[in-house]
Order: sequence, then structure tokens, then C-alpha cells
Amino acid sequence: MSGGKRRPPAPKPGPPNTARRRKSPGAVTGPPNAPATEQAGGAKGDARDRLRRVLFLVPYAVRHPGIAVKDLAAKCGISEKELLDDLDFLLCVGCPPFAPDDFLDLYVEGDRVHVALHQSFSRPPRFTESEAAALAAAAQALGGDGTSRALAALRESVPRDRRPSFDELVGRIYAGSPAAPRSVLGRLQRAIAEHREVRLRYYSETRGAEGDRTVQPWTLAQRLGHWYLYGFDLSRARPLPFRLDRIRSCELGEEHFTPPTPEHLAKERLFSDAQGEPVRLRLGPRAAAWALSRPGVKLMEREEDGSAVVEMAAAGEDWATRFALSLGGEAEVVAPPSARRHFAEAVRRALARYDG
Amino acid sequence: MQKAERLLDLAAFLLRSAEPVAWREIQEQFPGEYGGSDGAAIRKFERDKAELLELGIPVRWEAGDDDLPAGYLIERDEFYLPDLELAPEDLALLYLAGSAALAHGTFPYAKDLAHALNKLSFAARAAGTSESAGLAAHQLSQGDQRERANAAPVPGMAGILEELSGAVAAKKRVHLSYEGADRGQRTERDVDPYGLYQATGAWFLVGHCHLRRDLRTFHLGRIARLEVNRTAPRSPDFAVPKDFALRELATREPWEYAVHPPVRCTARLEPPASYEARASFGPRAALRDEEGAVVVEVEATNAEALVRHVLSMGDRAVILAPADLRARARDVLAHLSRSCA
Repeated sequence: MSGGKRRPPAPKPGPPNTARRRKSPGAVTGPPNAPATEQAGGAKGDARDRLRRVLFLVPYAVRHPGIAVKDLAAKCGISEKELLDDLDFLLCVGCPPFAPDDFLDLYVEGDRVHVALHQSFSRPPRFTESEAAALAAAAQALGGDGTSRALAALRESVPRDRRPSFDELVGRIYAGSPAAPRSVLGRLQRAIAEHREVRLRYYSETRGAEGDRTVQPWTLAQRLGHWYLYGFDLSRARPLPFRLDRIRSCELGEEHFTPPTPEHLAKERLFSDAQGEPVRLRLGPRAAAWALSRPGVKLMEREEDGSAVVEMAAAGEDWATRFALSLGGEAEVVAPPSARRHFAEAVRRALARYDG
Repeated sequence: MQKAERLLDLAAFLLRSAEPVAWREIQEQFPGEYGGSDGAAIRKFERDKAELLELGIPVRWEAGDDDLPAGYLIERDEFYLPDLELAPEDLALLYLAGSAALAHGTFPYAKDLAHALNKLSFAARAAGTSESAGLAAHQLSQGDQRERANAAPVPGMAGILEELSGAVAAKKRVHLSYEGADRGQRTERDVDPYGLYQATGAWFLVGHCHLRRDLRTFHLGRIARLEVNRTAPRSPDFAVPKDFALRELATREPWEYAVHPPVRCTARLEPPASYEARASFGPRAALRDEEGAVVVEVEATNAEALVRHVLSMGDRAVILAPADLRARARDVLAHLSRSCA
């Protein structure tokens, strides 16, 4: 036998067809080729990206029969057009002897994706060492009681031959130190997973004091370098962010709650109200170069010597003053006037400590 | 046949085979791919095998015995992503941490992280709860459009981090155009990238610098240009020393950066000294209570950073010693005071 691969023809355009697209191999001779599959050749990265994508896409479509084209494309982080190209490409994939049932068969019917033949691609492959290491680095930076268990599980899910590389890579990325004690994080993660209320001992910076709060924990989020718990504060009767590094202790309650739907959560914002007027700072050249590489700092004016005026949204007068002082004389708060006064007053009082 | 198609065909074929497949058989089944001279065909097959492994698909060669023929195979257990068997809270940890990191926009192996999060739903029973908490974490961490625009990191930062991640994993040498702390000092250097760390919201590269012939730390925001050695991508250019300890470097306080010989420094926290203020000097600071105030003693190798940290606390802290450091802090405040007048 020849053993040669016969490609199925390109899928027919036109109205969705309930019939399987693949034609009998007898109908396929000569050099037919789906143009879409050729375009994707290109650079090495493209081929690799596509392979990784389809190795997820096929099992995901198997698990979610009739998933909308739009949803599957969004899940894969590509456009609908790109997804359809991927599906065309997959029609050409199969294994010897390349009989009709030896090909992958995914088809679109009424904007929904169905899988007729998955050719053993019913689950994605194991994690690559960099996939597992990226997840491990993120988990270590968040922290919690489960960190070492999660890391051990990630390691097990990398192909055996690649585990030494995983171990090495984990030691070569450090994404930050946990913002709260392990036990606090562990309990929060558990409460989020089990939809249980928590009682927090929380330090409020605006009050300068600790207080007790009962919260329905919805999720955690990270903004501008800080981790927050986001959830419904029962005594204040509204969703609020709580900085993790200000949670002194956390107790799991017995009460369970119904979390908001994903659609509802998608409309939430970490900080609900406008944070007041943005604060402007004038920065010397070195301070400017440093500050501008941080998130949340917007350049307003730049002088020839490199000095700059920048604006920081959602900063607050107190924070802006501390930030300016931390730049060792190379920064001052210039606007709005109330923030300028706050800064000047802080400088005066601090100087008095040295002269007093 | 293009490569992506060939690799998938090969994977499907080996996955379906119940027993190892002899090389001859593979050649027969893929005549257009692995035909031709034996040496060239085997090299091509070996490259494909390596690429499959990089995708998480291990192709093994089995020596064969009385029962089984010698050949290549993909064992299903070694191929399919297993169930991680994690408790719900541990799964929540992975989803929340991964989603927030991805939302941040600059994270090493960001593409891999996105794939990993997608694949995670196959590695757990009832991942639904954690997955939706993860989606919310992603969304809240990103902020709205306007905030995102304001918070946009330096253009190109994500690209530089992605390139460096690849170089760190493959141990490939990189060439940097690096802006010094003072403007106008751009240097060109080759660096063996040992690791990447994040501190105070910024990413740093640590590696052996061939210009300085020593271990150096580079702020990614100051890398003006980056070039990864593209030759022999699967052969490492260097080995990372056994005693390389990234965590120790990453968790240094700014005044512990190696700039000058160690100096004992003391500062006073005015009462009431908050937990935050005490903790902000890190685990290696010695703290003692003194008439309601707290005296902090640290060993600094970059005293300027200590001055700045104490200054940022306003009138709640002062530098006590050494005298020149105290004078420096006072000068900064006097200068700012004149400027504010």
C-alpha cells in the first residue's frame, strides 16, 4: 500500500450543512489544498501557537458540545475568523491509513461547533514546564496554605522528562512575596471556593484603627501592586475592597452565601467611586525615569533635561505626599492646591522633628 | 504538508497505536515526510519529537522485548493532562493567582500562563466555582478602560519580558542596551539571564553580566533594546551556578542593595508606631521600644534608600544615626520646605 495521505477537500462555503463535510477519499485526488491552511505556515511561532491552541480547542469542543463559535473563539483568545481557519486546518489532520474516519472532524452548524471525530484528542496534553512554572510563580506570589500542595500537583502534571526543568525554572522566577500570612490567605481561598462568610480583623487606614468586619468573599484581585479581597461587607451593605496586607486575622464563618453571577461580577469595579482629582507631581530627571516605569503614572509634561510633570489617578493626598517624599528631594506635589498644602505641611512637620 | 499538520498527524498516529511503532512503519505511513535518505529523515523526526515534547507531548522510544516490538510510542497516561486532585481552596489559589497575574499584563511566560489557565479546567473536577472567581479576579484586576489606559505599563515591556522569559528557560545569552540610573549613560552588554523577579511593582532581570564580570540586577524598564542569541535554540549558552538564590536577591530591602560597605543605621518611629511602620523595615531589622517610640536598627549597604524610606513616613519617623545620614535627610526636607514656601 502506498500509505500516502490524501487530503480531504476544503470545506464548502455556503449554508450550514447537516451532512458531514468530509468527502470519501476517492473523491480527493490531485493537489487540492485549503488556502487557509497554507497561510498559517509563516513563522515558526505561528505554527507553534496554532498547535498549542488546537490541542486545547479540540478537547474543549468535545467537552462543550455545540459551543458557540463566538464563545470558543473568545476562550482561545482569537477572532471568529481565526477560529474558522483553525477548524479548516483541523479537517486535514488525521492518522494513517487516512481513511475517512481517520481524520479529525469538527464542523460548524448554525454557528455552533460540534465534534464528530476527535482522534484521541479528548483531553489537552500535560502542562509544559513553562506553563506549570508560570502558574507556580503566580501561586507563590499570592501564597496561602495550599501553595506547596498546588506546586507539587503542577509538577506531577508536567511530562516526567521535563520535571527537572520545571524544578529549575520555578527557582528562577520570583513574582513577589505574599501580602498576608499563609493562614489568612488559605482561609480566604477556602471561603471563596466554598462560598462561606468570613470575619475579618481589618486595619482601616482612613480611621487609623482596627475593626471587625463580616464579609462575603467574592474574589481576590491585584491592582497597582496591592492585593485585595473583594466582597460584600455585611455591615456596610455594599461590595468593598479590602487590602490583604491590612487583614490582621480571618475566621471562617458557618454562613454560606450565594455568589453573584459571573455576568453581575463582570460589571463590578474594585474601586467604586472616583478617587477625587488626580494628583500632579513635578519630578527631577532620575525620579521621572523611575516613576514613569511604574503602572498608574501618566506623563503630562517633559522638560529637555528629563524632568517631568506626571499625574497619578486614584492616589489620594496622603499617598501622593509619601510617594513624593520617598523620591529623596527629587519630587514635589504641585496640584491640586489642597494636595500641595498637604505636602508642604508634611514637609514642615517632618523638618521640625529634626530641628526640634 | 506543513509542520503543524505533520506534528498533529504524528501525535494522533502514535496515540492510537496500541504498541510501539517501528521507525520503518513510521516512514511507510508518512512517506512524504520522513522518506528520503535515512539520516536526514531521522534528524527531521527527532526535531519533531523535540517540538512535541515542548508542547507537552512526550514521544518515547521503547527498546522492545519478547512481547513488544521496538519502536516509538506516546503513552496515554503520559500524554493526557491528569486530574490535579486538588482541594477546592487550592484550585482557587491557582485560578485567582493566575488570573490576576495575567490581568497585570506584564508577567513572565504570559502566553503560557493563559494556556495553563485554560487547561486547568480539565485538570480538576468541578472547577466551576474557582474558574468564575478567577474570571472576576481577572476583570477586577484590570480595572475599566480608562484606568487601564492610565495604568498602561511602558510600551514594549510585555514583549521584553516575554523574550527574556524564553531566554531564561532556554538559557540563551542576551544582549542589552541598558540605560544607567543617570540619564545619558547607555551601555551595551551581554548577559546570561539567570532569573526574573518582581519587586515594588517592577520586574528585574538577574544574571551574569559579561561587561562587569559579575552578577548584576537590571530594571526591565531601563532595557532600551534586547536581543536573544538565536543560534542553536535548544543548546544552552550557560549553566546557572548551583548557589544562585533568586529569592534572597528578590527579597532584599532597597537599603540592602550592594552599593557601599555595610553601615549600621538607626531610625526612630514616633509613637504610636503602627504595625505597618514596624513591619516596613523587613525581617532583618532589630526593633526595640524606647519610651513609647520604637528604635529601628538596620545594616545598610545602600543608605540613600533608607533615607528615602524614612522620609516617606513624614513626621512619623526620623533618622538618628549616622550623623551624615541624618544631615542628608534634614537637607532634603529643608530644600523641599524652601521650594514649597
